[in-house]
Amino acid sequence: MRRTMMVFASLLAMGGWAVATAAPTKPPAAVRSATPAPQVHVIVVDTMQYGPMPTGVRAGDIIEWVNRGLLEHTATARDGRFDIDLKPGATVRMKAMAGTVEVYCRFHPTMVATLVVK
Amino acid sequence: MKKSLFALAIALAFGTVASVQAQPAPAAATAPATINDAQIAHIAYTAGAIDVTAAKQALKKSHNKAVLAFAEEMQRDHAAVNEQALALCKKLGVTPADNPTSQALAKAAAAEQVKLAALSGAAYDKAYAANEVAFHQTVNKALSGTLIPSARNEELKSLLETGLKLFESHQMHAEHLAQSLK
Repeated sequence: MRRTMMVFASLLAMGGWAVATAAPTKPPAAVRSATPAPQVHVIVVDTMQYGPMPTGVRAGDIIEWVNRGLLEHTATARDGRFDIDLKPGATVRMKAMAGTVEVYCRFHPTMVATLVVK
Repeated sequence: MKKSLFALAIALAFGTVASVQAQPAPAAATAPATINDAQIAHIAYTAGAIDVTAAKQALKKSHNKAVLAFAEEMQRDHAAVNEQALALCKKLGVTPADNPTSQALAKAAAAEQVKLAALSGAAYDKAYAANEVAFHQTVNKALSGTLIPSARNEELKSLLETGLKLFESHQMHAEHLAQSLK
C-alpha cells in the first residue's frame, strides 16, 4: 500500500516536471536579453596543474573540469563550497556560484588556482 | 644540507647508467654501448616501486598527518605511473630488462628501509622526508639527464617526460614537508 502511494507520488512529481518543461512560458523580450544563457567554461587538469582559469564566468554558468592527466585529482574549494573528484579521463560539470574561491587538489597540495565567478 | 648515504647510493646507482653511456663503443660493435628502452623501463619502474614501498612503511610507522598525506600521495601516484608504464610496455611488446642500475637502486633502497625501520616518531618522520627529497632530486636528475635522452621509443620518452613533471611536483611537496618538520 505504502509502495503504491510512493509510486503515485512519483508519477505526480514527474507529471508536474513534464508539464513545466513541455509548456514553458515565453518571457518578454526585455527579460530574455537580461538573462543570457549559461555558458560552459572548460578547465583542463593535466600534469599536476590546473589549466588557465576562465575569465568572465557568471553565476549560473557551467564549469566543466576535465582531467587529462595520468593521476587522480580533485577540484576542492578552500571554503568548502565544492569538492569534485577527478579520476584520470574524467569530465565533471558543476554550476558556478558567485564569489572568488581558491581551488586546490586534496591529493596534491602544490596544485592551486583561483576561480572568480561574478 | 648533508646528503644521506641513501641519496649517495641512489646517485651512484644512476651513475652506472651514465658510466655505461660514457663508454666509447668498440670499433667492431654495430651498436653503441647505451642502455636500451627495456632497461630504461625497468629502471623507471624500479624507482617507482621503491617509493611505493617506502610510502607503505611510512603509512605504518608515522603518526604525523602531513607525513601520512604525503605517503598516500606517493603510494597512489607512483603506483599509477608504474601501471601506465607496464601497460605501455605491453602495448610495445617490450619486456622490462633487469640491469645493474635497477639492482643497485633496489639494494640501496632495501638498506634504507632497514635503517628507517629502526627509527620512530619525529626522528623517523624527518628521516623519511629527507630521503624523499634526496630520492626525488636524484631520480629527476637521472630522468632529465640520462633516461629521457636515451629513450628511443617516442611513447616511452613521452611517458618519462610526463613522469618527470609529476615527480618534480613530488619533490616540491617533499621539500615543503621536510621544511615543516624541522
